[in-house]
Amino acid sequence: MKRVAGRALAYLVLILLGVVGIAPFLYLLVLSGKRRIEILSQVPPTLSFDWRTISKTYGEVLYSQGMLAFTTNSVIVVGLATGIALIIGTPAAYAFSRLPFRGKANLANTILSMRFMPPIAVAIPLFLMMKWIGLRDSYPGLILPYVAFSLPAVVWIMIGFFDEVPREIDDAALVDGCTHGGVLWRVMLPLVRPGLVTAALFSAIFIWNEFLVALYVIDSRGLQTISLGAATLVSAQRPIDWNIAAAVGVVTVVPMLIFSLLVQRYIVRGLTSGAVR
Amino acid sequence: MTAAIQLAVGRRETVVRQDRAGTALWFLLGPCLAYLAAFAIYPLLYSLRLSFTDLTAADGTGRWVGLQNYRDLIVDPLFWNAAMNSAIMVFGAVAIQVVLGTALAMFFNLRLHGSAIVRGILVLPMLITPIVVGVMWRALLNPDWGLINWAIGALGFDPPNWLGSIRMAMKTLILVDVWQWTPFVFIIVFARLQALPQDVMEAAQIDGAGAISTFRHITLPLLMPAIAFAAVFRAVDAFRSFDLIYGLSYGGPARSTTTLSFFSFQNGFEFQNYGYAAAVAYMMLVILMVGTTLLLRHVQLRSAHAQ
Repeated sequence: MKRVAGRALAYLVLILLGVVGIAPFLYLLVLSGKRRIEILSQVPPTLSFDWRTISKTYGEVLYSQGMLAFTTNSVIVVGLATGIALIIGTPAAYAFSRLPFRGKANLANTILSMRFMPPIAVAIPLFLMMKWIGLRDSYPGLILPYVAFSLPAVVWIMIGFFDEVPREIDDAALVDGCTHGGVLWRVMLPLVRPGLVTAALFSAIFIWNEFLVALYVIDSRGLQTISLGAATLVSAQRPIDWNIAAAVGVVTVVPMLIFSLLVQRYIVRGLTSGAVR
Repeated sequence: MTAAIQLAVGRRETVVRQDRAGTALWFLLGPCLAYLAAFAIYPLLYSLRLSFTDLTAADGTGRWVGLQNYRDLIVDPLFWNAAMNSAIMVFGAVAIQVVLGTALAMFFNLRLHGSAIVRGILVLPMLITPIVVGVMWRALLNPDWGLINWAIGALGFDPPNWLGSIRMAMKTLILVDVWQWTPFVFIIVFARLQALPQDVMEAAQIDGAGAISTFRHITLPLLMPAIAFAAVFRAVDAFRSFDLIYGLSYGGPARSTTTLSFFSFQNGFEFQNYGYAAAVAYMMLVILMVGTTLLLRHVQLRSAHAQ
């Protein structure tokens, strides 16, 4: 009897944990489907929705407020920056994992410690640099800094995945006359594909969520990224229309949530290598 | 004779391979190092130089003022207020997250049905935009119509003024950070827990050790490397945290949630006092370097990864 009660209690706690985790998302989703006046008067909000209200709110958020354009901007910036970071970072991680050279441990630690750098410490200099090279208020003005932000995590994650591949495999290829570049390209890359996905996932999440550098670099509304757009629409400084704010929140997080669900099994692996943010 | 030839051939091969490795090294490592030098190291040095100038957005020249910004900083009560808030946030959030995260890991080790689904849910808060987390919680905690205040009221209690009072706002910020990031500690400790040899625990139980003393004397010490690893990451990230504050409280009310990150941001972006903002950011970097050097003496960063 005592065992059954304990079991029941454990399941109750489990359900409660699930609710605490998901309720804030659902609440935001529900609010985004209500009219402004309903949010103030219906406490707690009911689960009855009016399709016209939903389409009106989301229509305004996506088109008049520009969230659709911001999403496009973010997809472009995230895609290019993540791609470049992988292209530059993966060979470096391979070198750290396989080649012997002097000062390797120190160099690796220096790169990894860059992951701890507060963005606030480099936002102004990056902004001044971009202004100076004439890339302020442009996609490259965002992509160049974002690659630098992603690189340490990419290198970090990929070293872990390369280390797991047995050395005999590339030794055999090297003896057969393959160059290191050839080994990396033809032999190793297919073996570390899960690592590439993990690195890409965390790089993408980080860039999707970044807004401090974007705040400095981007001036035109048309070039705003999604988190910058969301931040200006729902800033804590001024009163907001909560139905609009909730819809902005939903539009901002849904693409990343869908992307993460698609590659779900890589998340835990990435987290345990300390890659997030 | 044959042995000598073999030796010679062998030596030549090593030389060739080392040579090949030498050029390969430049091609593999060069781009990454050059890139980081240009877009990470250079901005950091640039920032250091800025902190010795009085550069503002309005006056683009920026005179060299030596240590003036740092001298101002030391006597600026607002700087010390921000430093204090950062300390409270880092220690408060990390302490709670470490305890709750470890407890969660032990709880999920019961392997209840459906726990994989709940674990999947608990990962989500870490992935979403901090700005949106802020908005989400502003809605949940809204004094007039927020769901949480309604629930507290329905239970017959008086809800606190979460984000409106100076005494409460920092606690609320920590609460939200705990909601978002406790799962990080949980995932890392749980991964370690699953990798532990089960027979040690079983042996202890056969020897008559109770559940609590098994946890204290056997499980917890074995989990310590993972807990420390998670705590270091959380401490650094809580210290750098900026977007969440921007979205949740904007440093207020009355600067009660203005941390060093936010203080630097305000000086740089709102008051456009780049020199002073850079000096604040550099103080953060110094604290970070000293802090992580001390911490990393005790924590092997790759340990949690090597499972």
